[in-house]
Amino acid sequence: MAKSNASDAQALIRSLRSAYAATPTNLKIIDLYVVFAIATAIIQVVYMGIVGSFPFNSFLSGVLSCVGTAVLAVCLRSQVNKENKEFKDLPPERAFADFVLCNLVLHLVIMNFLG
Amino acid sequence: MAKLALLFLFALPLLLSLTSLLPLHCNAFSVDRPTDRRLLVLVDDLAIRSSHSRFFSSLQARGYDLDLRHADDPGLALRRYGQYLYDGLILFSPSVQRFGGSLDLAAVLDFVDAGHDLILAADSSTSDLIREIATECGVDFDEDPAAMVIDHTSYAVSETEGDHTLIASDDFIKSDVILGDKKIEAPVLFRGIGHSLNTANSLVLKVLPASPAAYSANPLMKLSSPPSLTGSAISLVSIVQARNNARILITGSLDMFSNRFLKSGVQKAGRSIKHEKSGNEQFVTEISKWVFHERGHLKAVNVHHHKVGETNEPSMYRINDDLEYSVEIYEWSGSSWEPYVADDVQVQFYMMSPYVLKTLATDHKGLYSTSFKVPDVYGVFQFKVEHQKLGYTSLSLSKQIPVRPFRHNEYERFITTAFPYYGASFSTMVAFFIFSIVYLYNK
Repeated sequence: MAKSNASDAQALIRSLRSAYAATPTNLKIIDLYVVFAIATAIIQVVYMGIVGSFPFNSFLSGVLSCVGTAVLAVCLRSQVNKENKEFKDLPPERAFADFVLCNLVLHLVIMNFLG
Repeated sequence: MAKLALLFLFALPLLLSLTSLLPLHCNAFSVDRPTDRRLLVLVDDLAIRSSHSRFFSSLQARGYDLDLRHADDPGLALRRYGQYLYDGLILFSPSVQRFGGSLDLAAVLDFVDAGHDLILAADSSTSDLIREIATECGVDFDEDPAAMVIDHTSYAVSETEGDHTLIASDDFIKSDVILGDKKIEAPVLFRGIGHSLNTANSLVLKVLPASPAAYSANPLMKLSSPPSLTGSAISLVSIVQARNNARILITGSLDMFSNRFLKSGVQKAGRSIKHEKSGNEQFVTEISKWVFHERGHLKAVNVHHHKVGETNEPSMYRINDDLEYSVEIYEWSGSSWEPYVADDVQVQFYMMSPYVLKTLATDHKGLYSTSFKVPDVYGVFQFKVEHQKLGYTSLSLSKQIPVRPFRHNEYERFITTAFPYYGASFSTMVAFFIFSIVYLYNK
């Protein structure tokens, strides 16, 4: 049974990988960016767990910049994805422009809150 | 013109006599020269003038102006026109019922409350007036009017007196300030009544307590009940230093100051040493020096505080500042101000309770200083120096200073522990920039 579980897991991973390889390049770039942002957020949370939350505003600012930009990237991905029926009529340039503007506002707020 | 000159001539002596009433009189007790100058001595029997002449002449040799009067003298006055005429009062009149002139119990107590000194000697014939003065000063004489202090183990050996009321006592208080730094070798002769001190009173001290075997009773009658005053609870000589630094000496034996006791030899019962001279002369001389402020009088001047590195005194400090506090303390030596040397003067940085308590270091020239960090609490603080040492005048200095918190631009600009967060925010911005370039120019 264990052997079949292990081989089932391997088969699952292989199929996920091949499915993922089929996605368009621009979506893969967005995915990479999201992974980077979330990883940075996790590093900061671990650091706070070690040192304590002394400048809490700085901690919130750092984590929120990462999480916020990750959320905006996910929104961008869902809006430019050609297989997504919901955003069929939305031009991808418009989606990208929204993404840029929202990020600018986010980082302005982050800079102010960083202390 | 001539009339004017005449008027001026008339006014000049009047003006001169008026200035003599002003407190610019250089001989008087003053802040700069705290030793008393003018003493009023009241006696109930003018024979005391000759029987105690050695004590009086030693006082005059030290520079005091003695005014010896009979206690009934109708011209007696301590105050005139609001000014005190004397700096110290010696009451060698145990049997006086009423003072003459304008003197009474209230006048004597006002005199002491104004900071002046008092020596009170009682006897076996002490009147109620003297007892009341002593009670107001914190000392209670034995109520039995015929009682004397009797000690069957510490009496002075003599051929004539066999009822053991003449006591030889050498259990002195240990204080160089009060009794001088030379040890009194011979015991002190005492004959008179004893008194007790209220244990709740913290200002009164026993200079010479009776031995544990002493008791206070009538020597001529058999004891019918145990005496009320016994043992070391009986004090033979006591001192009081009031909170306004007035000093009072109370003793139950007028004979202790007499020429006879000052000159006679003494041998304490149970000891083989026979002293040629009793310790009375040294004892009364040294203790009168203390009572009349020739010794043990401190003054504290020049309180300064400033931030480390600056010299001016700021009107406000900030939390976590480093500051220095200094004060100069001098001790009166009888003729000049000498630097006071002690290792237990402390300063408190006080707001409802002392946040900082530091011992001041001295440079042996009178300057006491220390430095400390202002605590992390803001509010209105006081620099308090409270120094109360046995036999010395009490020092109580207090200087108020506010302490403010940080201004918003006095905090540290970049917090070291937050550097990872700063780094993360900036790296996210850079990553966003790079991502948007890559995304836009990707084929």
